[in-house]
Amino acid sequence: MAEKAKRAGLEPMPLDLLNEPLVWLFAEHYRHRDICARLTRLSTEVVCDEPALREVIDFFEIDLPLHIIDEEDDLFPLLRRRCEPEDQIERVLGMLSLDHSRDQTAAAKVKDLMERALEKQTGLACLADAGTIIANFCALQKNHIALENAVVLPIARLRLSDSDLGALSKRLSARRGRFVTTGSEE
Amino acid sequence: MIDRLLDNNLSWAATRVRIDPGYFQRLSLQQSPEYLWIGCSDSRVPANEIVGLDPGELFVHRNIANLAPPRDINFLSVLQYSIDILKVRHIIVCGHYGCGGVRAALTEQRYGLIDHWLQPVADLAHEHESHLQAISDFDTRVNVACEHNVRTQVESLGKNPFVKDAWRRGQKLSIHGWIYSIRDGLLRNLEISVDRPKAVDALSKRPWFPDD
Repeated sequence: MAEKAKRAGLEPMPLDLLNEPLVWLFAEHYRHRDICARLTRLSTEVVCDEPALREVIDFFEIDLPLHIIDEEDDLFPLLRRRCEPEDQIERVLGMLSLDHSRDQTAAAKVKDLMERALEKQTGLACLADAGTIIANFCALQKNHIALENAVVLPIARLRLSDSDLGALSKRLSARRGRFVTTGSEE
Repeated sequence: MIDRLLDNNLSWAATRVRIDPGYFQRLSLQQSPEYLWIGCSDSRVPANEIVGLDPGELFVHRNIANLAPPRDINFLSVLQYSIDILKVRHIIVCGHYGCGGVRAALTEQRYGLIDHWLQPVADLAHEHESHLQAISDFDTRVNVACEHNVRTQVESLGKNPFVKDAWRRGQKLSIHGWIYSIRDGLLRNLEISVDRPKAVDALSKRPWFPDD
């Protein structure tokens, strides 16, 4: 049973959560941790698990870039406008933006790894650099998510108004091809 | 290769007429846009398209880094014509994240004549140097500077004699600052709209950074 659950596909994000953008971002962080767990498992396998590898590739091609835009082009600029001096937000956001830039580089290496495994029809354990690449990506993610969950999201909950969250929700939805007409923008 | 553009034009015009036979006849008779758009020349920011407006609905001025330079005769002509003759109700300054002009102004690299055009952006970056340098990621620093550049243009427009004269006459005119992300095609309202001199004064006093 446990093995079956472990092998189940990555849980899709419930789109209703887009109405609560901070919950959406939190749930995405949970999913990112799940991806890291899957990657760690895949890195020990010698047999090619094609569906699992393709699922991870999809995550790197679609979900992660969107998540980075959600934060870099939406949440962070909004926090810069809303935060108070005592929040000392700039330093934290600066670190996180640098992390995003590193994430993208690390993610590109993981994606390349998956593609090589698919091409050779082999498990990741058969690729010499798999362990290092995956460990590096997962370590980056772990620290990044911890900082966002512990610092950024609580500040966002405190500083963003209902109107801010409504506008954020609309843009998160639009980025995923959903047009929300209810309520007024900013 | 260039012929492709002429072919595209034939296709575009034919499609328009097929949908609405009187479209070009109506368009040729008048221009009465309610909006003046001041945007960047970047080819990835098509003004009409991103706000869903048809030709004739948006009066457009574009230059590198969406500047509103108070001594540029081209820009001033557009501004004066749009306010005094077209009587636009809204002026939108729209920057975009990752703007190459702003990026260039933030580096020491020389590009030629464009360096002179971008001098106001470089000056702005210099003015806020300590805050901007605290942003460790360069792309983020550029994006913050893009937002600040929009605000500077909105403030500058609010102090422009053509705008002030319009307000003095009681003409309805609002200036808005927006930013666009090429990565998702979405606009963000920077919440720096002004519609009277007092609002411009208030905007000028607003902090630029949370810890200002």
